[in-house]
Amino acid sequence: MGTFIQQVVNGLTVGGIYALIALGYTMVYGVMRLINFAHGDLCILGAFVGLSLLTGAAGSGHTGAALLLLAFVVSIIAIAVAGVVLERIAYRPLRKADRLAAVVSALGASLMIENGIMLVWGPQVHVFPAGLLPATTWHFAGATISFVQVMIILASLVLMAALYAFVNHTRFGTAIRAAAIDQDAARLMGINVNRVITSVFIIGPGLGAIGGLFIGIYYREAYFTMGWTYGLYAFIAAILGGIGNIPGAMLGGVLLGLFNAFAAGYVSSSWQDAITFGLLIAILLVRPSGLLGERVAEKV
Amino acid sequence: MRGARLGGATGAVAGPVIWAAGLALPFALDSSWVSIAAFFAIYAITALSEDVILGRAGMFDMGHAVYFGIGAYVTAILNTTLNVPILLTLPLAMLLAAAAGALLSAPLIRLRGDYLLVATIGFNAIFVLAMQNDPGGITGGSDGITGIGVPSLFGLQLESQSAMFWLDWVVLGAVLLVMRNLDRCEFGRALRYLKQDELAAGTLGVDARAVKTLAFALGAALAGLAGTLFAVQLSTVSPSSFVFTESVTLFAIVIVGGQGSIPGVLLGTALMFVVPQIFRGLAEYRYFVFGIAMVAVMVLRPQGLLPRRRAVT
Repeated sequence: MGTFIQQVVNGLTVGGIYALIALGYTMVYGVMRLINFAHGDLCILGAFVGLSLLTGAAGSGHTGAALLLLAFVVSIIAIAVAGVVLERIAYRPLRKADRLAAVVSALGASLMIENGIMLVWGPQVHVFPAGLLPATTWHFAGATISFVQVMIILASLVLMAALYAFVNHTRFGTAIRAAAIDQDAARLMGINVNRVITSVFIIGPGLGAIGGLFIGIYYREAYFTMGWTYGLYAFIAAILGGIGNIPGAMLGGVLLGLFNAFAAGYVSSSWQDAITFGLLIAILLVRPSGLLGERVAEKV
Repeated sequence: MRGARLGGATGAVAGPVIWAAGLALPFALDSSWVSIAAFFAIYAITALSEDVILGRAGMFDMGHAVYFGIGAYVTAILNTTLNVPILLTLPLAMLLAAAAGALLSAPLIRLRGDYLLVATIGFNAIFVLAMQNDPGGITGGSDGITGIGVPSLFGLQLESQSAMFWLDWVVLGAVLLVMRNLDRCEFGRALRYLKQDELAAGTLGVDARAVKTLAFALGAALAGLAGTLFAVQLSTVSPSSFVFTESVTLFAIVIVGGQGSIPGVLLGTALMFVVPQIFRGLAEYRYFVFGIAMVAVMVLRPQGLLPRRRAVT
């Protein structure tokens, strides 16, 4: 029982992070039909920006929580700006081109950001400072739950609920949904599609920066190739839920986190990724558009 | 039309001439460059094999390193454990890779493009983990397999760098011939129709499922062939040579070079595998610059550097 609860908590923590990052994939895909392979690297860039602020201000006498909040704000702004710049440079010129050109452009951008991180921060593993958050832990039915885990789970839930409300209950959210269904029709209805796309490249990377910082705080480390690993997991989460579908990305992230934790806890940690990918392929075979994805009609 | 035919004619002469000139490389280069040229030949075969699936059939295969890896591992395992001569392992490597390609793709080819891409990424990850976890104790785990022998031809041991280069180069020549003929044969035309319009191809009597599976099998077989050469060239195999980033590179080569274009894919291979060798001194900045170059090429030439000429009828 203890192991079970422990794995549920671990899974929800990691799943919340996956979901936050997956939202960036899914929103970009929903509006532009583009897999933004650079998204994972942007998120980890967020972790590094936050880390620099945390270590740089170490001796300045600020308290842990205030400093941490500042790190989040700076990191979110920096990564949102990076996301907008990325879209302008690497994706906007390719909107009318062959889809694969944009995919390779995204892969190039990913390589550039990943190695840019290495050039600035170096190839070594960076350790996140300790003592930022209370080291409180709770014991519950044989499981240990840390303050960090509770914070990540709660923050992910709040952010997801906020995004869901924004997309479904505001005018701008309606514009995003309209552009996702049909860009041309949205344009005819007076929606500024360029503004929608820019906003998607602000919201997605902004949430991703939070996810990236959570990764750093949870695992207490950051290194430059991390973007691929976590980006790929978040991407799988988006596919699992049905890419382009916002609640799908949330569900996919949480399920993937839980599944991962159980595979590691009960089966074998060395086969963990293989089990995850096996699940992904199995789901695609049964439901080719993901769990919540709409069934796309065959092109006739 | 006239221009295209003239272009084709010069291509038909220029290609073989350049290939024949390539045979002289070992006399002109020092040994480290001969080895780079050999790796160019091996990766060119792999990239061309990816082009069969991605560029010609239009299926988003982002796990192509799996078939390259299967070829390399089949040769490594058979040669080191059962002492099977290298050149005998070669057809087996191709056959097993082809079977894997057909089997893995059969249930997946009905998936929409992006989902196929994700599923093939998944296969790649599973393959690498399987090799690392050493099932049945035959793959050597993370360290891989060492001590692969050299091929012998008519009693002649192909040991030297230049002998290996010639072997790779001759095989590349054969693969280039296959690719040229693929443009002209019925199967190649069926691929082209399918890529352009699956429904129309169906009304012309093209069996989409069969043709796509066959394309996967052919692409995988050629990658398996390259895998054998790779194992021999390094005399060792390990999981890290077949990771997902290798598949991504192959994918990028085809798109950056030009889909369905033989000169394009060869140029793409040279850019991705040979140019980084020249800039070894800039090791740290290499992939950073590379990423920028990939974005720049796509933005400036979305069709690739040397796109396919319009029609081969």
